[in-house]
Amino acid sequence: MTFRAERVRRWAMYSHTLLVLAFLLLPLLVIVPVSLTSGNTLIFPTPGVSLRWYEEVVTDPRWVGALWNSLLVGVSSTMLATIMGVLAAIGLAWGSFPGRKLIYAVAAAPLVAPIVIVGVASFSFYATLGLVGNRLSLVLTHAALAVPVVLTTVTASLAGFDRTLMRAAASLGAGHAQAVVRVLLPLIAPGVATGALIAFIISFDEVVVASFLSVAEQRTLPRLIFSGVRESVSPAIAAAAILLIAFSACLLGLVGWIQSRSKRGARL
Amino acid sequence: MTGTAVWTGAPSALRARPFARRFRGWGYAACVAPLVIFLVLTFLWPLGRFLYLAVDNSDIVDNLPRTVAALATWQRADGVPGEDVFGALAQDLADARSRKTDGIVAQLINQRLVGTRYLILKTAKLAEEGAFETAPRAAMLQHFPEWNRVEVWSTIADDSARLTDFYLLSSLDLRRTAEGSVAPAPAGQAVFVQVLLRTIWISVVVTLVCAVVALPVAHAIVAVGPTASRVLIALILFPLWTSLLIRTVIWIILLQANGPVNGGLQFLGIIVEPLDLIYTRTSLYIAMVQVLLPMMILSIVAVMRRTPKDYMKAALSLGAPWFTAWRRVQLPLIMPGILAGCGIVFVFSLGYYITPALIGGPKEQMISSFIAFYTNNTLNWGLAAALSIQLLLLLVLTWCALMLGRGLVARRSAA
Repeated sequence: MTFRAERVRRWAMYSHTLLVLAFLLLPLLVIVPVSLTSGNTLIFPTPGVSLRWYEEVVTDPRWVGALWNSLLVGVSSTMLATIMGVLAAIGLAWGSFPGRKLIYAVAAAPLVAPIVIVGVASFSFYATLGLVGNRLSLVLTHAALAVPVVLTTVTASLAGFDRTLMRAAASLGAGHAQAVVRVLLPLIAPGVATGALIAFIISFDEVVVASFLSVAEQRTLPRLIFSGVRESVSPAIAAAAILLIAFSACLLGLVGWIQSRSKRGARL
Repeated sequence: MTGTAVWTGAPSALRARPFARRFRGWGYAACVAPLVIFLVLTFLWPLGRFLYLAVDNSDIVDNLPRTVAALATWQRADGVPGEDVFGALAQDLADARSRKTDGIVAQLINQRLVGTRYLILKTAKLAEEGAFETAPRAAMLQHFPEWNRVEVWSTIADDSARLTDFYLLSSLDLRRTAEGSVAPAPAGQAVFVQVLLRTIWISVVVTLVCAVVALPVAHAIVAVGPTASRVLIALILFPLWTSLLIRTVIWIILLQANGPVNGGLQFLGIIVEPLDLIYTRTSLYIAMVQVLLPMMILSIVAVMRRTPKDYMKAALSLGAPWFTAWRRVQLPLIMPGILAGCGIVFVFSLGYYITPALIGGPKEQMISSFIAFYTNNTLNWGLAAALSIQLLLLLVLTWCALMLGRGLVARRSAA
């Protein structure tokens, strides 16, 4: 009898898990037919199938301009966050100066601060500098939001780095800079790349700070979707959403590939 | 090993080492410096500066210096002030207008005494044109009889300090009375305590729902084989890689009046008229749980993987009913994971903005929405900053409660 109860429990557990997976994933799929509608509104079931909304997203200057803005802001803030994050991770992991715990805490702050407060505070700050509507302010704030992630991933890969390799390089006649470029960086590259990709996604998906700091011409892709949704939900938004999901999935795949490659390398 | 002993006697090689080491230490500090400077300049300083706006009141003193000085000895009981105060105000307002800061003054005074905005703006306009140069008191009273109200003057006088608790009190639906004591705000203007309680309530519901829904899923992930478990984790992680905005937009598309959910229900003949699914509390809960559930599952799984499975089996073999065994043996073991998950979900919920803004009705807006509203719509920085302080304090309190809970769980399992 307990055996049957056990089976019922297992059955309930697995079907519950399936339902939860459906709840998490199906909504992402259901908007695919919506985006393929030939009609002008998001009515379901759709009157017919067409790619016209994808065509609009790829050709309409508003969408294309927003994509360029997103890429520009994303790449700039990623570069900034990665350079500072890698330097700081090395300094924090190997140096022994006072206040390192405090620095770790400060560097984690952008992760936990409510995003609206970050957005409003940046808006108030850059307004006094006359930089609201300038992409620079958005790049700086996005870099601050992304730095904790870069710091975390690079610190993790530094933990697996054998520091005697640096001394070995020095004993073979390499200067400090040469040892860093030819020994250290290639070995921690997976951590750096992972951090940089996540930093890029953070900036590419961020909408709240962008809604405070950008004006019409500098709208990023999420910002355009946000204001579009507030006015009217056109099928173009569904198409853009699917393209963004596909893009994120590609980057996620890239991160997974880097991670598995670096694990295999470590085993060899 | 004292520094002086090394310095006087040691050979140069021994002396050089600590120096080189210290130098290298500073080299590493120099690596960290750009990040620290960057975060201070672009994050901590803007944040601190903004939060300070909750108590900052220097705009009144800076823009009305003569008036504030002239009102220094004035008491409410003195009634409408004399010629000198009127003259000082006329001059200050004329100056403010020529600096284009009269709007700020009008806005600040209007925040405290509603309905005075145009009084200030119009007085400033006439003052700049020189209407009050001779006999300012009579001229101002003739143009604007509102200056006969003692409250207008006492509002300016009460506001002449550089720091104010007005916004912090307002964010808790309190205000100072004319006598200086703290009293509840009139019922029509009291909204923020309700918003605070609503924010906490929504977060509690979302956290509890996530915990209850996540537990069996976490059990399943640990129970299946390693490959299946990895696939499950990947599937659960996938939505985390889609932005919050996109996932919220998806729910809008799904739940709207002619969206797939209503369409499907109508097609199946379950309903005739489309249901109001969007802009309700339920739609907000659904969307928030979908977004936050993966984090809860992952934190429970992380702890569950470390707990031995034998204890549960031992309890069962000793004859405990399954639920008793789970509650008394398994639950305490995975409690740290549940607590961590609840902490993450609760903290994220408290700061939610995008989802309530897009799929909640007016009765679903949380603190963050009001911070954004007072920034975007009324430029009331003081109130936005005071509400931000409230939200940050809430996060700190949550963190303390979480640490306390963790300590209690650890002590109970040690006992």
